[in-house]
Amino acid sequence: MLDQLKHMAASVVDGIAWGQWFSSLFLFGLGLLLATFAARSVSRFMAKRASRHHTVMLKRLVFYVIVVIFAVAALREAGFSLDVVLGAAGILTVAIGFASQTSASNMISGLFLLVEKPFEIGDVIEADATIGEVVSIDMLSVKLRTPDNLYVRIPNETLIKTKVVNRFRFPIRRLDLTVGIAYAEDVERVEKLLLALAEKHPTCLKEPNPFVLVTGFGQSSVDVQFSFWVPREKLEASRSSMMIAVKKMLDREKVEIPFPHTSIYAGSHSEPFRVQLMAPQNLPDKEQPDVQKDS
Amino acid sequence: MKQPAECSLKHSPQHSAAADQRWKSSSDDGLWASPYTLKSGETQHHSLGHSQIWVTLLDMEWQIRSQQEEQQQVPKDWKLVTGHSLPSSDIPVQRFIRNGDAEMVTYVPAMADRPTVIRPYQPLTIAAEGQCIIYVGTALWMNVCIGPKQLLVASIPLSEPSLTWVGSNTMEGELCYSAQSYARLALEAVPKRPWRAVTPVNIHNRRPQPLLVERFNLPTQLLSIHRNHLGQLWTPGVNVEVDTDVNAASMRVDPSPPPAAGPCEPLGPAREQVSRGRFVRTLDRIFG
Repeated sequence: MLDQLKHMAASVVDGIAWGQWFSSLFLFGLGLLLATFAARSVSRFMAKRASRHHTVMLKRLVFYVIVVIFAVAALREAGFSLDVVLGAAGILTVAIGFASQTSASNMISGLFLLVEKPFEIGDVIEADATIGEVVSIDMLSVKLRTPDNLYVRIPNETLIKTKVVNRFRFPIRRLDLTVGIAYAEDVERVEKLLLALAEKHPTCLKEPNPFVLVTGFGQSSVDVQFSFWVPREKLEASRSSMMIAVKKMLDREKVEIPFPHTSIYAGSHSEPFRVQLMAPQNLPDKEQPDVQKDS
Repeated sequence: MKQPAECSLKHSPQHSAAADQRWKSSSDDGLWASPYTLKSGETQHHSLGHSQIWVTLLDMEWQIRSQQEEQQQVPKDWKLVTGHSLPSSDIPVQRFIRNGDAEMVTYVPAMADRPTVIRPYQPLTIAAEGQCIIYVGTALWMNVCIGPKQLLVASIPLSEPSLTWVGSNTMEGELCYSAQSYARLALEAVPKRPWRAVTPVNIHNRRPQPLLVERFNLPTQLLSIHRNHLGQLWTPGVNVEVDTDVNAASMRVDPSPPPAAGPCEPLGPAREQVSRGRFVRTLDRIFG
């Protein structure tokens, strides 16, 4: 029995065309190596000539094309008929498609994202309640890096279905600051002061013109919208520095910024609190021992 | 292999010495493109326009500090004092490794790195088939170059530039610097300052209608800087021709400074080179 098994194993091992398999494996390995080198070369060549988005796309395309060519050559070398392989691949694709609809949907969505190009690698987008910089656009998902340095993966299908806001598409952005001033203040004077502030601010663009709108009469303040344009990369820094500048300017010009006040209700008759002033000499001296009590 | 950036001024030492004698008016005046030698521990303090700049040489490094100041009366000259005092520690410092025995520092002027929108205080109208030359002074950048090879280590704006957007809408266009100008027509009236370069802009209105110049876009990044025998800084002239539509105006940068500047020597190259001959159409909108 043992001899029979040994004989069968030996006949199986002898029957395999090891030379063909080794050469096909060598071909596939060579393909991977060449594809890696070619992709890196393309990436280096394109880095200064195209955007990161296009560089990454071309790098992947070159890599996969070379790998597929060598994989096909390796299969032929191993003795597989390409027609049979393609037929099997077709059937397999349908089977896998049914089995993994989500993955297929994400892959097709990824193709649409690449063609429609609503954002590129390096853009800051807002999608699915997440804001972040696009790190990569992959076959199944898009990866974001949030401002607090979290790595977020969003499936391509979600990005096709949901609203995506690209914050980096245009080079300039408008900042709208809400400033509340007291009812007693002269609104037109405040408007002039704010516009003068925009004129002096280094990151505030001269054109499109900054403007001031009165947006409403609030409970304790006249609400004013102060709008100005800044380069997109200086948005957050400009917001902060301009708010500081507005506060300083209003303080300097003695313009009151009102804020809600809290009143304490004293009782049913709204009588004022009784406040009793005590002379210091009437207070017990904590440092001195109470002689009467001790006795 | 990438070469380090150099201030591309190529003077012979003899030429620099001659330049020193010709243009250096007093010992405490700074001078463009003239190599200065510092000793370890020394600081050069420049008072130039709205800027205060300190350049310090230490045993192992160079230190550069700069500050912009709003002044009512801006001094007309470039005051340079060499000593051992440093400014307040509140002023940020840039540090650069000193290679070898490089003790030489050169200051080379450079134009703005993006177009500059010039707004005359009072708009100017050029009659139909009319022509005029407007002299515009624009603020410079100071390129600090170290060593005999004049390797660029820092580029400091000599006035804080404002930004503006130029384009048909907020989607298409480009960011430019913004500057106010008196748009002087008489060359004698143009103040010559060591931190400003004068550009003659020749506008030719070939249209049958008058042309209102409320603002125009000067391609400062395409202009080189030259110095004439009086030590004044000039750029090549810019010629603008308006044939039909204001938005379709064509622009051409001269290869050399205008004859009005007199004999000139080149000081600093243009930030960008004109690729296609002398004719350029790099700006979306020349007039506002």
